[in-house]
Amino acid sequence: MKEFFSVYGAMLGRSVLVHLGYVLLSVAAGFILGLLLGILLSRLPARWSAVLLPILSVFQTIPGIVFIGLLFLELGMTPATVLIALSVYATFPVLKNTYVGLTQVEPRYLEAARGCGMSPAQALTRVELPLALPTIIGGLRLSTIYTVSWAVLASMIGLGGLGDFIYQGVASNNNLLIVAGAIPAAIMAVVLGALLDWLQRKAIPRGLRKEART
Amino acid sequence: MIQFEHVSKNYGKSTILHDLSFTVPDGQFLILIGPSGCGKTTTLKMINRLIEPDAGKIIIDGRDAGQMNPVELRRHIGYVIQQIGLFPNMTVEQNICVVPKLLQYDKTKCAQITRELLEMVNLPYDSYAGKYPSELSGGQQQRIGVLRALAASPPIVLMDEPFGALDPMTRETLQEEVKKLQKQLNKTIVFVTHDMDEALRLADTILFMNGGKIEQMAPPEEMLEHPASDLVRSFLGKPRAAESAPIRVEDCMRRNPYRVSKERGVLECAELMARSGVDTLLVTDGNEKYLGVLPIRNIRLYGRTVDSIVPLITREVRTVRVGEDARGVMEYLMNSGDSYVVVLNGDDTIAGIITKNSMARIVASTLWGETT
Repeated sequence: MKEFFSVYGAMLGRSVLVHLGYVLLSVAAGFILGLLLGILLSRLPARWSAVLLPILSVFQTIPGIVFIGLLFLELGMTPATVLIALSVYATFPVLKNTYVGLTQVEPRYLEAARGCGMSPAQALTRVELPLALPTIIGGLRLSTIYTVSWAVLASMIGLGGLGDFIYQGVASNNNLLIVAGAIPAAIMAVVLGALLDWLQRKAIPRGLRKEART
Repeated sequence: MIQFEHVSKNYGKSTILHDLSFTVPDGQFLILIGPSGCGKTTTLKMINRLIEPDAGKIIIDGRDAGQMNPVELRRHIGYVIQQIGLFPNMTVEQNICVVPKLLQYDKTKCAQITRELLEMVNLPYDSYAGKYPSELSGGQQQRIGVLRALAASPPIVLMDEPFGALDPMTRETLQEEVKKLQKQLNKTIVFVTHDMDEALRLADTILFMNGGKIEQMAPPEEMLEHPASDLVRSFLGKPRAAESAPIRVEDCMRRNPYRVSKERGVLECAELMARSGVDTLLVTDGNEKYLGVLPIRNIRLYGRTVDSIVPLITREVRTVRVGEDARGVMEYLMNSGDSYVVVLNGDDTIAGIITKNSMARIVASTLWGETT
């Protein structure tokens, strides 16, 4: 074990950082994009989203390998390829949860907001988004955990991350290497998930917590 | 002042409002009532432009509401909805201050408004301002809903069946509070309900609608005395007819209470009470005239020291005369804690007694017809 760390320790540390960098950057981009698109979609008449959501979810089912491969042909071996691919994948859970969260806000709150004299933008930021927040953060959590596993694919086009260990291990039939890549990835997913749970508890006002649990 | 001028509204082919014209003077409590689908809620929501008319004008304090910015207009008209609609992500204080904040009042002013308003409905600021709606009872929530509508002191407040979802006790308390607030703050209130009792209790003027038209617009007393149509009469309902023919005390008394002459012995009286299961006897003199009552308590306390019941008689029980209105007796029984009053004939002889029980029976039969 000691021997393993003396050989691979520095590489492992670097891979964890690269991996984490991919995850944070692409989740951040995906979150912003998903939030904006989700809001936009929720403002459109329901028949629009009835068409758009299924199309988007079909897109989501395209395997990551295929998508990264296609982008690789277009953009070449740059971190942008990985970041764009991961961001696109991270967008969808946030988008969907934002849309669902916003459309599930009870009509009485919208009527009250309108009747109080809120403009549509004020109703969105002061009432609708806060009420949808638990669902939106749920989407963010899903995105984050998925992205940790998808980021393994970066190494497929030679761009590092914990995938390096897994692919090398698979290629050289070395189980120790596979585990050395898989365990940090698993820990990263758990830790980030816990972090978001904590954020969710922090960000949601006391008055909503009872409802958020159900 | 709110003026409706030839306002019409259609949804597809069906006409919701049909050439509606009426005026609400300042400081008036107007109630919109009528069968469901009569257009009362539509009428209400047109005042703050949640619904736009197809034809006609609504003029508020001399200005055409249709020409004003709807968002700006709504900030100057209070609005209370049936489902309360307090924002669950905001505290009581934040909810009350929604409109003041939209109007960019500063923080200290908002806190002051909250404090004053909460005081008016007897909710202490320190214990309630920081609570969330989910921590309040339904009645408290709607109180805050009303306060939210009043926070920016709008001259006009609209209420859409605000108490429909509350239990009867809470509803009555809130009705009183709203009436008090309206008088105190001199607001013009337009209030939708389908409950005629609520309308009669609160309104200065009742506007009865049917099929998008005005069936009758009148003060409550006038509507009670001269309902314009059978529909209005049926809304006014039967129970209120009893008010024209008051119930008299003899209608609800028990006619044969246990009575004894003052010549009877103490022991005899005690035995009669035990046998008949009562704790009090009415006492008469030789001419059947009422002298007072003999409670068992007095026998227990002093019975051994006297031979005659006369010193044990008390006159502390309230008496009424035959022919009096029973309402006063009812109120007395409800409020005093006494369990009965004695009814006397004109010549001071005993006619009967009224207990809470006999009172309840007559009230029930007036409300629901003869009961067994």
